[in-house]
Amino acid sequence: MKGIKSSTCSAVLSLIMTGVLCFFSGRSFKTMHRPEPIYPSAGLTAKHWLSDYFPPLKNTHGDTEVYVFQGTEKGGNALVLGGTHPNEPAGMITAVLLIENIRAKRGRIFIVPRANASGFTHSDPQEGNPQRFAIPTTLGQRLFRLGSRLTNPVDQWPDPAVYVNPAGQTLSGNEVRNLNRCYPGRPNGLLTEKIAFGIMELIRKERIDIGVDIHESAPEYPVINAIVFHENSSEIAALALLELQAQGFDIRLEASPVNLRGLSHREWGDHAGIKAILLETPNASHGRLKGKPSSSLIVEGKDKFYTRASRLGWLFVPYGEEGIPLSSRVAQHLAGLRALLEALAETEPDKVIEVEDMPPTAEVQKKGVGAFLHPPT
Amino acid sequence: MLRIFYLLIVLYLSLHLFWHLFRQRKFWDQAGTAIVLTLFLLRLFLVK
Repeated sequence: MKGIKSSTCSAVLSLIMTGVLCFFSGRSFKTMHRPEPIYPSAGLTAKHWLSDYFPPLKNTHGDTEVYVFQGTEKGGNALVLGGTHPNEPAGMITAVLLIENIRAKRGRIFIVPRANASGFTHSDPQEGNPQRFAIPTTLGQRLFRLGSRLTNPVDQWPDPAVYVNPAGQTLSGNEVRNLNRCYPGRPNGLLTEKIAFGIMELIRKERIDIGVDIHESAPEYPVINAIVFHENSSEIAALALLELQAQGFDIRLEASPVNLRGLSHREWGDHAGIKAILLETPNASHGRLKGKPSSSLIVEGKDKFYTRASRLGWLFVPYGEEGIPLSSRVAQHLAGLRALLEALAETEPDKVIEVEDMPPTAEVQKKGVGAFLHPPT
Repeated sequence: MLRIFYLLIVLYLSLHLFWHLFRQRKFWDQAGTAIVLTLFLLRLFLVK
């Protein structure tokens, strides 16, 4: 009788423990669905939602913010996409840095910092990735979500065994949740296809001239430190490459393969006729050779395993002990974007997009990304 | 409809774990059950 009584007591204790665990892990889980604040600069002229361009996305986890900077003078229209793959932090951070600093003088610039908002609400399973990474600013740390390459399966499930994307390419099943395999999207398709369709609608309705999709890739992946371009953008890509190489960036051109369908640099050009560009920088935190995943690996980019792999000649970029920090990767993206806009102005003078107060590349490299971010409130 | 059916399965398994928890005599068996029950409850109430 006494044994039964004590086991009932410990069962109640275990239930209380369950409640406490549910409370803390539930609270942590809920924060993954709360996007971190972005503090736009005074140059912001409008904030839209992707659902304004494609209403079926409203009230879904695929809806996302579109920040608009419009100049006083007429010019071209640019789209900058960050967070297509939420596990490639330089893409989202570059977009945030632009939103928090720039002012358009001529033309319009549309910035989407979290293109796949659903992908930011979960992490890649079995990777041990941190939920967030911290960037020190002048007055404290800003925290940003590290998400997954793919849409959250809670929003789109199950994956098919084989996925035939809207452009007709046959891919492995989980690519059905990869935004950069779902272009040009399907209006009645799955969530990721709807997001892709929403972005195509934005491009068409706002008469975008140039689209830049910002990514990162693992140092052992061959398409790295690259400007991937649609054939209609070869001239501006070449001009931008010359400019970047003159500035000392180790970067190369990659032509968008005609038979690799569903990607932004292919379908934006084919289906909307815009100049479609994708930028890549090296990111150790989502590579396969990395050591312990951590916030500092994302921000500082130091990893002894990648340094060793580099010495053994296994990588497509040099990877020294100093690492490749987020500030360098973001600076490279900013330099790439600036060079592309200049090249567009040179080749098509009626489509000039003039942006002021873009953080200077050298300053971002020297002072870090945090020096150009709004402090946390 | 499929979602309701799925949640009913999770609810059934949660209740089963709850019942199982009170049938265990050893503390560590109960603690193990409690941890599994946590995951089921989170799935039931939080993950939409």
